Amino acid sequence: MTIKQEPAPFGAPAILDRSPRAATSLGVEVLVCGSPDRGDDGAPIRAAALIGHRMPVDVRVRIVGQLDIDDLLAVPRDAGVVIVDAAVGIPPGRIVERPVTGLVGRDDGFRARSSHALAFPEVIGLAGLIRNRPMRGLIVAIGGSHFELGAPLSRRVAVALPALADAIVQAVERTRLFDST
Amino acid sequence: MHDTGTMGGSTSELAVDIAGLTRVEGEGSLRLRVRDGAVEEARLEIFEAPRYFERLVVGRTPDEVIDIVARICGICPVAYQMTAVHAFEHALGIEIEPEVRALRRLLYCGEWIESHALHVYLLHLPDFLGYPSALDMAHDHRAAVEAGLKLKRAGNRIVELIGGRAIHPVSVRVGGFSRSFRRTEITALLEDVAAALEIALRTVDLVAGLETPHFERDGRLVALRHPDEYPMNEGRIVSSDGLDLAATDWRSEFSEQQVAWSNALQSRGRDGRPYLLGPAARISLAGDRLHPTAAAALAGTGLAAEIAVNPYRSIVARAIELVDATAEALDIVEAYQPPEAAGVPWRPAGGSAAWATEAPRGLIFHAYELDDRGLVSHAQIVPPTSQNQAAIEADLAAFAPRVLDLPHDVAVLRIEQLVRSYDPCISCATHFLELTVETVP
Repeated sequence: MTIKQEPAPFGAPAILDRSPRAATSLGVEVLVCGSPDRGDDGAPIRAAALIGHRMPVDVRVRIVGQLDIDDLLAVPRDAGVVIVDAAVGIPPGRIVERPVTGLVGRDDGFRARSSHALAFPEVIGLAGLIRNRPMRGLIVAIGGSHFELGAPLSRRVAVALPALADAIVQAVERTRLFDST
Repeated sequence: MHDTGTMGGSTSELAVDIAGLTRVEGEGSLRLRVRDGAVEEARLEIFEAPRYFERLVVGRTPDEVIDIVARICGICPVAYQMTAVHAFEHALGIEIEPEVRALRRLLYCGEWIESHALHVYLLHLPDFLGYPSALDMAHDHRAAVEAGLKLKRAGNRIVELIGGRAIHPVSVRVGGFSRSFRRTEITALLEDVAAALEIALRTVDLVAGLETPHFERDGRLVALRHPDEYPMNEGRIVSSDGLDLAATDWRSEFSEQQVAWSNALQSRGRDGRPYLLGPAARISLAGDRLHPTAAAALAGTGLAAEIAVNPYRSIVARAIELVDATAEALDIVEAYQPPEAAGVPWRPAGGSAAWATEAPRGLIFHAYELDDRGLVSHAQIVPPTSQNQAAIEADLAAFAPRVLDLPHDVAVLRIEQLVRSYDPCISCATHFLELTVETVP
């Protein structure tokens, strides 16, 4: 996917705008995109391997490769979602976070890197429409530079893997605590 | 889409630069110049980077090649696998079991269903119904989008079951498959495939009634033709002007060439003429081999003749092929009996391998040289989109003068819609190896 760069690095609160005391704990699915044999595209899968023991019991981690509408339709209706993907358009190794609903209708600056599927905004928008409820959660993306078949992780992305793992954990926590009612 | 064109109040000039074609597979742009009613330039510019797959397979065994070439495309990996495996088996004199042949055809049906459903419902239908995207269309035509997704899901299930996964399948091997399938595994598809056939038939009704721009192209059509069945894995290469070649002999009639504005090689006939592949070509050249259910659906539309000449009717051709693929998949699933073995044994050997099959977007050709150890020493992979590129440009040049009198935004939409009619897969087209850089002193 391609993200139009904006000054909102990882760490800035994205959807959590309420007191944790008022929040309700909900299940979360982590959808991990990418392909492990395509250089930096494999970063999300490698980072996901670092977080298994840090996930609460109501969190399921799924490797989906190319995000498809069916992946989102399979998320339980009341659960939140954290989508992890590699991106171009941001510096390699930099991690950004966006609310999933914030992408819908923004196809000007956010399009599928792999062209064999609909762009993220359409996938997320269509899933929300079919579910009769907007998808709730966060996208965590890491900037990459090399996506060729057989390429290794680029150095800056490899160095950032622990930070990406931390970012996923934090995104899960914020999505779990977010009360959508 | 970023259209920078203007019409300047004139009805004889048109300048269109669509910097990023949307709802096509891959990254490309379109450049069109019409002056005084004459087309000066019509270019489908493909700038997606070359991906060097023809070099990646050198030194690999045939089975490794089958897995590697599947990575060329996320939407039509089976086409690459089928073409490669048939090329190797033909070169090595391997005869597969009839049950394996049926399973491979079922796998290909799955890919056709998946690819055509995506294109018809999510990429092309918004054009006809006047929406900028599938998401916008879904607000008003939710049932259609859900039907398309269900159809696509049925195709995905077939590929996932037989191929091991829905994208970039891994089960195809020289001589057969990496494992055999129990009858209960295959018949588990019955409900989904039967439902998909019903949706496919409704799809024909939906798209046959769409209003389409009037345009008649006068170009050469090329497809495979099989004596008994609608072409997928086997057949001879035929054309609308009488060509009749073995599937191994594509290079005796066609060749690839480089053009300055594209990272994809273009293919033309040896005489320089462009030609068109794909669903419309197949229906025109092999429509009498359609599954009876699909043949009846085609007859019901009354559009067989128009499909052959009007690219905007390709959406109907794809819908007919959705019926064909789902109906045939249903037959195969119902009749399935497991083969005695997952595959037949074979020994590596040197030689020349070549074959053509029918990808969702049209005829695909592979040729390989195998050294004495049976490893690939040279490869040529010719996907449908690189073969269609010259025909698309020729059709754009022929069509552009017809939209001069339209408001500019309508003209641009018509032109984009025309490009999408060919369902170009730009990622596939940029797989190639040789990029010649010429420096002038």
